[in-house]
Amino acid sequence: MSLLSGLPLQFSIDVSSLLNVVWLGSIFVFFIYGQRLQMYLIANDISRALNRLKIMRDKSRKEAIDYFTSSGKVTGDPTQRIDEFLDYVTIMPVDMDPRGVVEKVQHITNTRDERVRAEVSQIIPNLDPTKVSVAENILEIATSLNQIHKIVRHYYLLGKKTNSYMLLFQLQMIMPMVLQEADALVNAVDTFKLGQPVGDGIGPVIASRYMQNLPKQVVGKDTVMTVGEYKGRTLYVLKAEGPMGYVGEPGVAIQKLIEEMKVPLNAIIMVDAALKLEGEKTGEIAEGVGAAIGGIGVDKFKIEEVSSTHKIPVYAILVKQSILEAITVMRKEIAEASDKVQVLINRVIEEKTKEGDKVLLAGIGNTLGVGQ
Amino acid sequence: MMNSQQDRKAKFIVYTIEECPACGQKTKRAFQLGDYVTKDGSKCSKCGNTTKITSIYAEAPPKT
Repeated sequence: MSLLSGLPLQFSIDVSSLLNVVWLGSIFVFFIYGQRLQMYLIANDISRALNRLKIMRDKSRKEAIDYFTSSGKVTGDPTQRIDEFLDYVTIMPVDMDPRGVVEKVQHITNTRDERVRAEVSQIIPNLDPTKVSVAENILEIATSLNQIHKIVRHYYLLGKKTNSYMLLFQLQMIMPMVLQEADALVNAVDTFKLGQPVGDGIGPVIASRYMQNLPKQVVGKDTVMTVGEYKGRTLYVLKAEGPMGYVGEPGVAIQKLIEEMKVPLNAIIMVDAALKLEGEKTGEIAEGVGAAIGGIGVDKFKIEEVSSTHKIPVYAILVKQSILEAITVMRKEIAEASDKVQVLINRVIEEKTKEGDKVLLAGIGNTLGVGQ
Repeated sequence: MMNSQQDRKAKFIVYTIEECPACGQKTKRAFQLGDYVTKDGSKCSKCGNTTKITSIYAEAPPKT
């Protein structure tokens, strides 16, 4: 009897000991192999994201090939030419001695842009300029996605190869943002194919309102300007030439206007789209001072240089939007902001300049689907 | 991230707004290939003048 009554007690002691052993063992295992296990989970996570990037890259490549093929004017099979172009690289100039680096960057980016346009025109000759510009934009999207995929794959494989936990960890941390940008690029292809205005085109949309029924003159590559009048002031308005998907050269145009054409400007007003911070509403308007222009920095530098040399105040009006909204079809909230921006521009002209002054209004952004 | 996911899921309809420069009458119609802002539109239903495309934008369909 005493033997039987002792059995359960004996059993419970055994289970408890076993659990203790397992518990201590697992602590030991996690202590030794925990980082390796975490690295395995992180690598799996990045691998899944990399697959998504690969799907996006392939989709944009296919869209580019389809667009070229469906243009009806393609000479031969464009697949090989497009594939070659996806790996096209632009080598930025050395900046150890920063003197004159902006001119060098401008020269290189101009050469690249001319090469892209020439390449597209060779694949699809005799196509109208709007479709050529759309093809250029689609090709640039496919090239960007190819680059993103290649860079992420490089760091993923390097991290795995060198067992670098920190490298993989950092890559995993930035992956949501990388995927968000890649997603925006993929979504942009449809908008570009249909030639619809993008969110970034809000600057050109507003500028076009001041250019109606006025003679246009070319003042830079893909950049047009009108000269009009607003409440006794001479109003110069410039934007990229639409409805093609161009951004133009506003920096060069403003420099030309002031230094070559000798126009003594009293104020420059720049309207552009700006990336909103999380929590800000799409279509919100921000007013300020300074050159409102993105890109690689060449145009911004030129505008800052010429305006500071000639002591011309630069006023900025920004329309807030996300990266996705900036490169996909213009949302209603952004389009509706144009009326408020127009009121704001008129107020700035009236308050900051006087009758007889010369004012420049620059609509900055991609002008796809926006004429003048 | 959430916003982008919502954006991706939402199906937007693209509209073209035509405005009559004479009487200011605005017409909203579905976007057609070849439309662009400042392009001449159809005849104004009110005064018969040629309208101009003043806006092209995407809008979420009304909730049913």
